[in-house]
This record gives sequence, C-alpha cells and structure tokens, in this order.
Amino acid sequence: MAQIFDRSSNALARASLVLTGLIVIALGVTLDQLQRSPWVTRQGQRPEQPVPFSHKHHVTGLGLQCQYCHTSVEKSSYAGIPPTKTCMNCHAQIWTNAALLQPVRDSWATGQSLPWIKVHDLPDYVYFSHEIHVNKGLGCASCHGRVDQMPLMYAQNTLQMEWCLDCHRNPAKNLRPTSQLYNMAWEAPAPERPVWCAVNAEKTGVPTAQSTSCTTKDPTGAGPQMAAMQKPTLEQEKTATDGSTGTIPASLHYEKFTSQDQLGHFLLKQYHIRNPYELSSCEVCHR
Amino acid sequence: MSREPLNRKTGNTVEMDRSKSSLAEDETLLTLEQVRAKLKGTTGKKLWRSIDELQNTPEFQAAVEREFSSAGSEWVDPVSRRGFLKVMGASMALAGLAGCTKQPDEPIYPYVKAPEDLILGKPMYFATANPLPTGAVPLLVKSDEFRPIKVDGNPDHPYNHGSSDLFSQGSILDLYDPDRSQHVTYQGENRDWSDFAAAFRDKVASTKDGTGVYILSSTVTSPTLARQWKAVQAAYPKARLIQYDPAIAGTFLAKGYNVQYDLSAADVIVSLDADFLSGASYPGFHKLVGDYAKRRKDPAGGMNRLYSVESTPTTTGMKAEHRLGLRASEVPAFAAALAAQVGAFGASAPQYSWTAEQQKFLAALAKDLKASGGKSAVIPGLYQDESVAALALAINQALGNIGKTVTVSSEPAIPIPSDQIADLKGLVADLNAGKVDWLVLLNSNPVYSSPVDLAFNDSLLNKAKVVAHIGPHYDETGRLSQWHVPSAHYLESWSDARAYDGTVSIVQPMIEPLWAGVTAHQVLQTLLDNPQLSAYEAVRATQKDNIKGDFETGWRKVLHSGWIENTAYSTGGALKFEAPKVPAPNSKEQLEIIFRPDPNVYDGRWANVGWLQELPKPVTNLSWDNAAIFSGYTREKLNAEEDDIVEISAGGGTVKAPVIAAPGHPDNSVTVYLGYGREIGRVGGGAGFNAYLVRTSSNPFVGTGSVKKVDGKWGIAITKSHYQDHRAKNLTEHSNENWSLEGVEALGPRGIIRYTSLEDFKSNPNFAHEGEGRETPEMETSLFPNWPYTANKWGMSIDMNSCTGCNACIVACYAENNIPVVGKQQVRIGRNMQWLRIDSYFEGDLAAPRAHFQPMTCQHCENAPCEQVCPVGATVHTPEGLNTMVYNRCVGTRYCANNCPYKVRRFNFLLYSDYETDSLKLMRNPDVSVRSRGVMEKCSYCVQRITAARIEADKENREIRDGEVVTACQQACPASVITFGNLNDKNSKVAKLNEDKRMYQVLADQNTRPRTRYLAEVLNFNPELEQRPVEHTPEKG
Repeated sequence: MAQIFDRSSNALARASLVLTGLIVIALGVTLDQLQRSPWVTRQGQRPEQPVPFSHKHHVTGLGLQCQYCHTSVEKSSYAGIPPTKTCMNCHAQIWTNAALLQPVRDSWATGQSLPWIKVHDLPDYVYFSHEIHVNKGLGCASCHGRVDQMPLMYAQNTLQMEWCLDCHRNPAKNLRPTSQLYNMAWEAPAPERPVWCAVNAEKTGVPTAQSTSCTTKDPTGAGPQMAAMQKPTLEQEKTATDGSTGTIPASLHYEKFTSQDQLGHFLLKQYHIRNPYELSSCEVCHR
Repeated sequence: MSREPLNRKTGNTVEMDRSKSSLAEDETLLTLEQVRAKLKGTTGKKLWRSIDELQNTPEFQAAVEREFSSAGSEWVDPVSRRGFLKVMGASMALAGLAGCTKQPDEPIYPYVKAPEDLILGKPMYFATANPLPTGAVPLLVKSDEFRPIKVDGNPDHPYNHGSSDLFSQGSILDLYDPDRSQHVTYQGENRDWSDFAAAFRDKVASTKDGTGVYILSSTVTSPTLARQWKAVQAAYPKARLIQYDPAIAGTFLAKGYNVQYDLSAADVIVSLDADFLSGASYPGFHKLVGDYAKRRKDPAGGMNRLYSVESTPTTTGMKAEHRLGLRASEVPAFAAALAAQVGAFGASAPQYSWTAEQQKFLAALAKDLKASGGKSAVIPGLYQDESVAALALAINQALGNIGKTVTVSSEPAIPIPSDQIADLKGLVADLNAGKVDWLVLLNSNPVYSSPVDLAFNDSLLNKAKVVAHIGPHYDETGRLSQWHVPSAHYLESWSDARAYDGTVSIVQPMIEPLWAGVTAHQVLQTLLDNPQLSAYEAVRATQKDNIKGDFETGWRKVLHSGWIENTAYSTGGALKFEAPKVPAPNSKEQLEIIFRPDPNVYDGRWANVGWLQELPKPVTNLSWDNAAIFSGYTREKLNAEEDDIVEISAGGGTVKAPVIAAPGHPDNSVTVYLGYGREIGRVGGGAGFNAYLVRTSSNPFVGTGSVKKVDGKWGIAITKSHYQDHRAKNLTEHSNENWSLEGVEALGPRGIIRYTSLEDFKSNPNFAHEGEGRETPEMETSLFPNWPYTANKWGMSIDMNSCTGCNACIVACYAENNIPVVGKQQVRIGRNMQWLRIDSYFEGDLAAPRAHFQPMTCQHCENAPCEQVCPVGATVHTPEGLNTMVYNRCVGTRYCANNCPYKVRRFNFLLYSDYETDSLKLMRNPDVSVRSRGVMEKCSYCVQRITAARIEADKENREIRDGEVVTACQQACPASVITFGNLNDKNSKVAKLNEDKRMYQVLADQNTRPRTRYLAEVLNFNPELEQRPVEHTPEKG
C-alpha cells in the first residue's frame, strides 16, 4: 500500500504544531489587548448625550469653576451632576431659544430628569470617593484630563484597576497643592517653573491640608516666576484657598521644589497620605 | 461543584460506617431515659446544643462530619446535573469573551431641582419612633436620598440610648414589602381614598349619633389618635371603638396597668414568667435589658442575681442564675406562695402540693428577696393571669421596692385602656344581633387573629352592612371586606406615641407613602369638622400643650431630637389592687396549651418580613415555622419524633403542627407561637400553622386541650445542628465518654464557653485562662510572619455575661449588609446566610437547663486559616487586620469555608439576592455590594463604616476616634454586649476590655489569633441553691 502522506507532511505537521501554539498565544495577546482597548474601557469615547454639552465652552470660554456644577466633589463620594436648575440659572436668560437646549427646557418644564450617559463609569463593586481624593491634593485633571479642552466629554483614562493602583502605589507622582486642584492647566514643577511651599506651624492638624501654603511666585521677592501655566482665570484665583496667588505671608519659611517627585514627597507628608501598603489594600475600594 | 461523592446515598453510608467503627458500642441511639442517665452520671459542667446531640443520633453523627449539612452542597434545583453541566460548558466557552464584554451604558438622572441640604452619597438621619403596642421605640433612621435604609435606636433618647430590637430592625423590610396592598378598592374595583372618605363621612353623618358605626382597631398607641377618637365620640356618642390586639388583649397592659422597673438599682431580680430579656414584646424591653446588663459588666463591682420562674423556656429563664420551670397555670399559685412568704398582703395562696425542690426554691428565693428589700424587683409575666401582676406589685411593696426599683405611674401605659376581649365579644354579639351598619377595621385582621370562639368568618362579617378594611395588606380580612384601603407604614406617617417611660415621641415620615397608604388619623379625621386636616396638623394640635415656649421653635427642636422633653409619666400612681383571685393550677393530667406571640413575627403582622422569618428563634433555633413545643418527656409519651405532626384540639378547633422538643419546657404542656399560618404574602404565606384556630377568648394565653400524633412529617428548618464541628469527635474519644461532643468543645480543655461563680471569680479572677489547653499560644508559634499593624488594629469584644440572645444584632446585620433571605428549603439544607449567629450552649438537665449565648461571627483571625487556602486571593488580610472579602475575585471554591474552624463563612449556592423586585432595591445599603451566585461572604466588621470613618478622619488629618466606628450589631444591641474599636489605641474601650482578666479567645489553641474576643461569664449564684441546674423529676407525662 502506498503511503498516504508524502514526506513533506512531516514538516507540515511540525509547522501546524508551532502554529497552534502561536495562535493560542496570539489569541491571548489579542484578548489582553482587547480588554485594555477603548472598545471595552470606553477611553476616549464620546457617548451621545441629550445635550451636546461643551466643557470647553463653559470652562475655558466662560470661566466657570468646576464646583459651580459639581457641588459635592469635596463633600461626598459623588462629584454630583448638576440639576436642571443649574443650567436654567443662566439659560433662562441667555440662549433661551436655542434648539440644542430644548431638552433642558423640556426637563425644566416637565420635571423629568435629563438622561445623561455616564462617561466615567466604574463597575458596581468599586467604591470610589471623590471627597478623599480631592481633599488630599489630587486635582480634577489628574484623572479626568483637560476637561477644559473637551468640547464633548470623554474619559481620558481607562479607569481600570491597574490604572488606579498605578497611583495608589505611588501617589506622590500626582499630588499637587490643594490651591491648584481645579486648575486644569497645572503642570508638575520643573527647574524652569519651580513651586514654593511652606508649612504654617500654627495650623498643623487643621483639616484638609490647610496648613500648607504653596505658590508659583517666588516668595522671597527675587522676581516673579510664573509657573508655566495658562493664565489663571479669575475664578481660579478666587478659589485658591491658601492665598497662593494672592498676598504672600512673608513670615513663612518657603521651600523650593523643582520636580514633581520632590513636591510629591513633601505633600505626601504634609497631607498625611497613607502609605502605598495601606492604599493598595483591597478593602479600600472593594467591600 | 460538589465536593461530595456523586451518589449521595453511597457517600452517606460510607461515612456512617466510618463513624460507627470509631465509636464505642454504647454510643448508638439512646432513649431519653438513657440520655438523662448519661447526664446524671456526670459531675462538673457539661454543655450540649441539641437533644439530637445528646441522643447521639446517626443524623447528628453525620452532621458533625460534614462541612455543610447533608444536602448543603448538592444541586437541588429541578435542573438535572447533566443539564447543569451543559449550561456550564456553554458558559465556560463564553467566559473568555465575557471578560471582554463592556458594561452597558448607564444613565444618570440628576434632579431637576435639587433638594436643599442634600449631599448625594452622604446619608441623613431623622428621628422618629416605632409605635409598638408595648411602647414606642425611639428611633434614628438612616436615609439615603430620602429613602430610609436602616433603622436604629435614638442614641440621645433617655429610654433606649440608641438600642433597638429585632422588630424595629425588621420594620425597614416591612416598609418595602412588595406584597403590601397598593390600591383603594371597593368590591374589587379600584377607587380613590376620597371616594372612601366621602362614603364613610356621609354614612356616619346620616346616622346623626353614630348608631351602628363600629371601629375595630389595633391598640391605639397615639395620643393624637386617642384625642381624635374622643372628638369623634363627642360628635357621635353612639359610635363604638373596639381595640383588639391578639398579643395584648387579655393582658394587664391592655387595661392600662403601668408599672416601671429600674433594674440598675436591683440586686435581685425575679421574673414570674416574664420574658423581659428576649424582645420588645415585653414593655420596656430596651431599658430593662440595658439596666440588667449594666449590672453584669463588672462582676466584682456588684452584680445582680436573676431568678426566673417560667413556663415556656425563654432566654430570660436560660440566662437566670436560678431557673424554676413550672407549668404555666402553676405560676399564679407560685406567685401567691411567694407573696405569702415575703409577707405581702393577704392573697390566699391556693393549696398546692409543691415538690420538695420547688419548696426549696421558694424558700431560698423568699429569703434572698427579704434580705435585699428595696434593692430587688419582681416582674410579672405579660401573658400570665392578671393576679400575677397584682401579686408582683404586692411583693414589691412588701419588700419596700416601690419608689426605688419599682414605680407606679399615674397614667395608663396606653391612651385608651380597655378590656379588649370583652369588647370584642360585645362586637360579635352586636354583629350577630344585626346592629352593625358600618364596621371599620383599622389595622386589624380579625378574620385571621380572632379567637376561635369569636371567629370572624364570612357569615359574621356579612351581618354588617358595610365592612371597610384599612390595613397594610390585602389580607384575610381585606378579602372579605367591601372596602379595602391600604394603610401607611409608620415610616410613611405622621403620628405620635409614648415610649415605656412615657416620653412622647413624634413619628415623622421618612418617605411619602409608597402606595397611597393612609393613616388612622386620616380615617378618623374624615368624621370631624375639618375632614381634610392632615395627620401632621393633627399631631401638632395634640402636642401644642406639651411643647413649652415658642411653639414653632419648640416643634422644630422636637422633630430634630425626636421626643418632647418633660413628658415622661409622672410617678406615684395609686397602688390599687384588691386581693386578687388566684386561679388554682390545672390538674397535672390536663394538657396545657401555652399561647405566646412569636418572638420573631409577633402576632403575625410581620409574617411577610423575610429577615424575621428566617431568623432562628431563641432557644429552639427554629426558623420559617412555628411548632408544637413539648418537653422531651411529653414528646416521648406522644411517641413522636421531632418533625412529626401532631393534631392539637382546643376550643372546638383543631390544627396540625410539627413537633419539636425544647429543653426546659414544662411537662404535659405544649407551647404554640401565634403569628403563623398566614394565607397571604409571598414570604409568610403558608409558613407554619395558625394557632389562633385553637385559642379561645376565655383562655387567651394558657388554655387546655388535647394532642394526638398523626401521620406524616412536617419538614421544619432548625439551624442549631448546622454548625457542628468535626474536630470534636477526636477529643471525645480520649475523654470522659459521658460528655457530649459539643460539651467537650465548649467546656472541656478548649473552653469555648468559660464561666464561673462570683465567689470563685473573686478568689480567682484569672479563671478563664487556667487549665490545660486554655493558654493562648505565644506570638512566636507560627510559621507565618506576624503582621505589623502600624496604624489601626480593629478588634471586637463580646461580653458573654450580658448577652441575652435577643437576636437584634442578627436582624441589624441583615439590614446593614444586604444579606439575602434564602427560604425554608435552603435553610433546611444549611444554607442560611446570616453573617452573625447566636450559638446557644445548653447545660444541665434536659428539664432544667441553663443556656450560654455566644454571638459567633467572623473572628477576623490574625492567623486566618481561610486566607491561606484561597487560590485566587479573594479573602485577604488588610493592613488594619480585617479579614476582607473581595467578592469580584471569588470563584467559589469554598476552600475558605472548609478551613474555617468557626464555621462563619456563608456561600451563595444560588442567586439568593433579589435582583428583580423594585421596592427591595430602594432598601439596600448603597455602601455594600449585593452578592451574586457563587460568591463566599461573611462578616466584614462593617468595613463600609470603617471606611467612612477613615475618610472623615483623613480629611481632618487626625486619627479615627474611639467610638467613631460602630458596627451594626453593636449599635443595635440593647445590652451593650459588643464593643468595637482600635486595639492599638491603648485608651480605647475595646483595648481596655482586652486587658480584662476574663477575656479569652475561642479556639485559641488553633493559634488563629482571633480579633473577636469574649469576656467569660460570671454567675452570681445564691449559695443556698445548687449552682448546677437542678434535675427535676418528670411530672406525669
């Protein structure tokens, strides 16, 4: 009986073995990539909203401060989505006939909520608290990105667990002075844009890191050195809680920081940030 | 999947054989006689948890060897095993993809106009009160987005100081009960409330004087409702109000008898069949148990001593230093004999032949009482003959307790005292005579709960021209009424009520009525001049005089604090008692039937509350049913096994009931709990049997009748045998074989239960740590490195000395942690999900046991056996020492439960959480995950509360203060048994308790280093009576 398979089939068989292995690996890699892809995480996607609300227009264009709408961001786990009333505060006066705003007026008239779609949507088994992040010197933009440059809202980051842990294991890299929390354009200190911070000894132990004053102007008076930021809006100046851009108390001893690492570790201590071991414990987010 | 052998039968046989071979010959099934002999032969302490255990039944042997009970890990759904594998196969194939599926779009619905002061995500707390017929419970309700989600005692209230009870805890589920009626109906058709109001008003107005108008109401607890009724009566003098509450009617409470006890000053407490330690069905429970417990916290600093003379075994009796079990009808005679002995005024004690042992008890009790005159309290049973209440008062007076530990109030305990049973009889007579035109049933369900001789059936109700039913459910009565109007829950209503001490509490609504419910105030107001006046205005009008100063300011203050100051009952009421007629005890040959409201569902009003149904009842550990509870002897005489069915006949009615035996139950008596056998409700409908069918109006709490065994098995669910532990058996083999299995565990070398007498404690305060096997292993004796715990170190202390086993903590845990209800069949196979259980260890003779109650929940071991075996890291140690569950990691191997020596882990064998019912979604605690199928869960030390406190503290750059984190069980506990806090803080309460000599760890020899620690019991025995529970010769039976 003649051989059914030619000698060359041996090579084919070997190749198919290798190929199977490769396919399995490729499948694994694909699934892994898929899991991190925007299709799953929705990073960068702009869902269709009832009103194409532009953060860019309202923040950069009009200078609204974040907390005008997101009122409970410092007080509660939810930042808060503004009630229709907040929209109507202005839109009862301006753009009263704009077609785009019809859903807002309808909501106001009928008492039905505006059905927004969640852009930053965590799984239900994750318990995230805005208040503790904001109170501990984590700015809006660190997680949400440059919202002031987003005509339509999207998620800058994946919000996946690895992303959370990345910071929980090294919070110093994202900390900033509490006066700069709502400053969308804040950039980490560098040799060309240093930050000066001082500890007010009289105020140690007071709530929410009020004991630390930071400024981007040289407090010694050796010449103003504006941190490289887009010019702070009027709103931002007003909400700076510790006088960073206003008058500078000369009696304090200021320390100069020229890198995020330096500043981060200084703030870590001042803001009593828990250590990475505690911050990355499961019960911090899951219960 | 199942760890058990595929063929369950074979599996069992194998195990049985194994257990037999390892057991001594005489350890086969014993009769009760033998069990008694076995108990008698032993000296020293011995504990047991169930009669099965003492008898050493094969079922018990098998249970000991298994992780879950026999079918606990079986697939019991109608789906076949093969079908299941097919489904699983498909799911496995999809599992890889399922990980990649993205979450669906989630909408956000913001407010249109946000309410002032609301911060989403931060709960708010409002004061209100739960108007129980035994006295209002002042509450502070947690409200999330204006949904009430947790009920707790009002911490500022002078009566309960923040404690609560299982009825109040369960009332939140009662509010969201999806079976509550939702529409006003007239002969089955939907109507509006205004239609009813108009019809009612017109009818009553047309009678001019109210002739033919009858209102049958549950006990009126609200001063405002009483005022409204007086106004109605002034306008329509012939209208009649009948109050009937099946658990209250016929008691001294209904007649307004108002005596208050201050147990904090009492050295000797005597309960005459009064169950004042087990639940809010006894008036003043919160204060009584709180004061009782206060005197047990520091044994060296003056402990009280509790005597209990009781019929049905209750936690009060089990907790007593000395308990005398009597038949219910013997208690009045005993009280009279006691009165005579202490020289109280001349009630002639009926001639009765007390046994020598009963006489000894009586003499010792009388002597002890006389020695502590002015510092003692005698408390009468609510369900005893009225003479007991009068006698108790007389004894208290003779002892000089009045004005010290006992005060008599000048006002009645309820606004309109009446003889409820006589009134109900009158109503039935008037119905039969055709005098009733309109019968309005206000939160009353007589078709279900009236005595059998006054049966409210179809034909009786038809004799009224119109029957209108205002009630929470379209229930047995609602279905036979022309009108049905849903009534509002107390959390939806404006009203007022008085606590045990008389303080007026305002009942304020937490939420708009979910389903068009109306309050009793609105119903009566329709008859008055201003029919539209709201309940709110009515309450304000009533309380106008009580609020001093500017009314509006005062009113706001009252709503904030929850009660009105200076409204407690004034003391110094008249001691009016004629020499009471003491009924002679029934003959011992006669079978007594003891009727008691159920410890969990009360008179049946909470039958549809799943938490309360599933809760194991104290002493019997029965859930989902009521039963005919016998003594072991009477059960044997009936030739009935546990779970057999008996037929109870009394008063012309018969019911079939499952049999269970309770240790300490009087012989030739049967206890039946009311409140079961409801015909409606997806939860309570069909559970148990209706004991009202054998209850007569003449003997509402102790009747006589007959029982006979009938064929069949009932299928009861008892939880006590679920948590046996395999390791016990090895020890038994090496020790005194007379000791029962759990006995070895509990009192032997291991000492799960450790106690001593006060005298021994004084001479040897370190008793809890003496003896072999009781030393706590050194910190070095572990292969694993020790955890550092640099910041906080959470720990819990449980005081065994003051725990009375009232179960309030378990229901609080249900509410706080979104624990699902699993249903009777699942409980039967050992799948109940309570994170916290109360283990009762009985000690002594079957007929006269003492019990030790041990709340048992996750011990948060430092050396946790569960953590080491989890293959996916779903149960992990946190830096603060919590043994935390990460639900989304859990794959359900159940290794952790296998390895847990405390048996405190609970597994979601099926999808127990209700994801469908809308109203229940409103109730859930948003800070706790709702667990799905296949996930292990257990006590978390209320981690959500720890996290919330930590965030608050971190915001303020400070440490968490002692007392800032309060667990749900701790908050509910009326006896302050549980203390939680930071062990690293040397000044914290829990750290100090940890230094107490009495502190011990359960199963410390396992080197698990549990963080929950127990304070050993100290019992203050009367030296003249035996310390061991005494053996009683069985009565005829």
